[in-house]
Amino acid sequence: MAALWKTCHQCLRYGLSHKSFYPSVSAINVISKRNFKPRWVAPTLREIKRRKDVEDDRNGGPKIFHRSTFLEWNYDAEIFAFSNRLGEKFNEATLRTALTHKSYVERETARLSDIGVDSYLQIQNNEELAVAGGALISKFTNGYLRAVFTRVPEELIMAMHDFLTSTSNLEIVGKHIGLGDLMLCSDFPCESETYVKSLKAVVAALAESSGEERARIFVQDLVVTQLYGLDINELWNPADPVGNLTDILKREGKAEPEFRLIKHSGQNSVLAVYYVGVYSDKNFIAEGAGESLEIAKEMAAREALKQLFHTEDSMKALPFGRQLKNIQSKIVQLENQPNLPLSKWISEKVTSAVH
Amino acid sequence: MSNKHLFLPSGFIRTPLQNGLGRYIPQLQRITLKFCKNHGGSRGVRDFIETDLMEFAKTNPGTVVYLKPRRHRYPCMVAEYLNGEREYLSCHEFSRAEIQKWLSYMCTRSGIPVMRFRKYQHTDYPSIQGVWNPFTHQAPEINVAQFPHEILSKPVNNGPTATDQLIEIFKKTQIKDPVKPEH
Repeated sequence: MAALWKTCHQCLRYGLSHKSFYPSVSAINVISKRNFKPRWVAPTLREIKRRKDVEDDRNGGPKIFHRSTFLEWNYDAEIFAFSNRLGEKFNEATLRTALTHKSYVERETARLSDIGVDSYLQIQNNEELAVAGGALISKFTNGYLRAVFTRVPEELIMAMHDFLTSTSNLEIVGKHIGLGDLMLCSDFPCESETYVKSLKAVVAALAESSGEERARIFVQDLVVTQLYGLDINELWNPADPVGNLTDILKREGKAEPEFRLIKHSGQNSVLAVYYVGVYSDKNFIAEGAGESLEIAKEMAAREALKQLFHTEDSMKALPFGRQLKNIQSKIVQLENQPNLPLSKWISEKVTSAVH
Repeated sequence: MSNKHLFLPSGFIRTPLQNGLGRYIPQLQRITLKFCKNHGGSRGVRDFIETDLMEFAKTNPGTVVYLKPRRHRYPCMVAEYLNGEREYLSCHEFSRAEIQKWLSYMCTRSGIPVMRFRKYQHTDYPSIQGVWNPFTHQAPEINVAQFPHEILSKPVNNGPTATDQLIEIFKKTQIKDPVKPEH
């Protein structure tokens, strides 16, 4: 024991203390330089790590500490940096309220009453702001989707909206703008719902401080951009594409869709492939491939619908950021105007997106 | 020669939260400069703090700068990024200019660890005309043809054979209208 203590002192003297023993972090990346350490350094550190790992396994994981427990922490500076990082101006009191959770207020009140100070804390929590922010995020997302996907039925718009406003997506957004260290909450490590609530409250605080337009741009820049790189046809598919295609063509006054086998290969084998084409009045619309005739027929109908809705793989790239400048007014207009549902969809009533 | 033995991870270029697509958010959350107040190895850091630090803080308002004087310890900087990663750099015996350089390096990084980029290009539309499959450029007649077929069983793009070329050459050497001998 004495020998280990002496070794630790020697470690300190040799300047090893600046190798961090931050307990909370899973990995710390060191920009390493060439350095030569005495022979006993590596085995000592190895032994210390082994003992630490044993303790961590016994306690069910390494100890984690909130960033605010560090000596180098200044909440006011962090709040200032938060708003500057995003490029937004917040009313500071509103922002602080947005980051304060009910659980924190309750914990603090309980702590004070334990000590004996029986004061009713005047800190506001972010419950109302969260509700307002949630509604705003939902509204702005819908506006963007309807303005960009003008030909898409409302069911797909809803599916995309549900994905973008889902807990998992908003949690990722909240984590990556630095809310984790700023939130005042009793749970640590913070739960997904806490992040989501904080983000919603921050959006509401922004709308209150800088106006709804800035909040709209904020949501477009941070929440909606998560749509990039996604295949939106994975989010939603019509349950009966053949039926839907037949209905749409009937409503438009065109001939009934006719499915014809175009190519096939490998029947009676495991790797059979059938290509089925959809024709309307002998005009080719789309083709689809599948392992069996039924699957190929359904895929062909799906392709035809994708072409009608302009959601094929080759569709135009989605606009983000500055590219939305020209359609902001259209976005505002369509926030409360749902697209046509699939049961009423018809080409004449939809316009192609211009962006 | 190959990259399999390298410990440096490899990957494709990525950015946290589609940064830059909507707006650019500087990813450096906070930077802590630890230095000694006397020791000579911290001189560069001390000089930097006295001269260039204020300007750095003003140009990067989204980053919190913490100064932590620690006696009898070597200087270092720890950068924390928005995605939770940390970078540690020892600044022992750095000059003021070197500190400036490394600090600007920390500012411009996302927290994604250093890795070897596999490709420097990216496209959302890898194929314009559609990926080739065995049915591309096939004549539709193969669907209803009975094989062996006179035309479709033969190889495509077959030029004239040597025999055909010789026959052509022979034909060209023939006199077109032979003069009839007068009796």
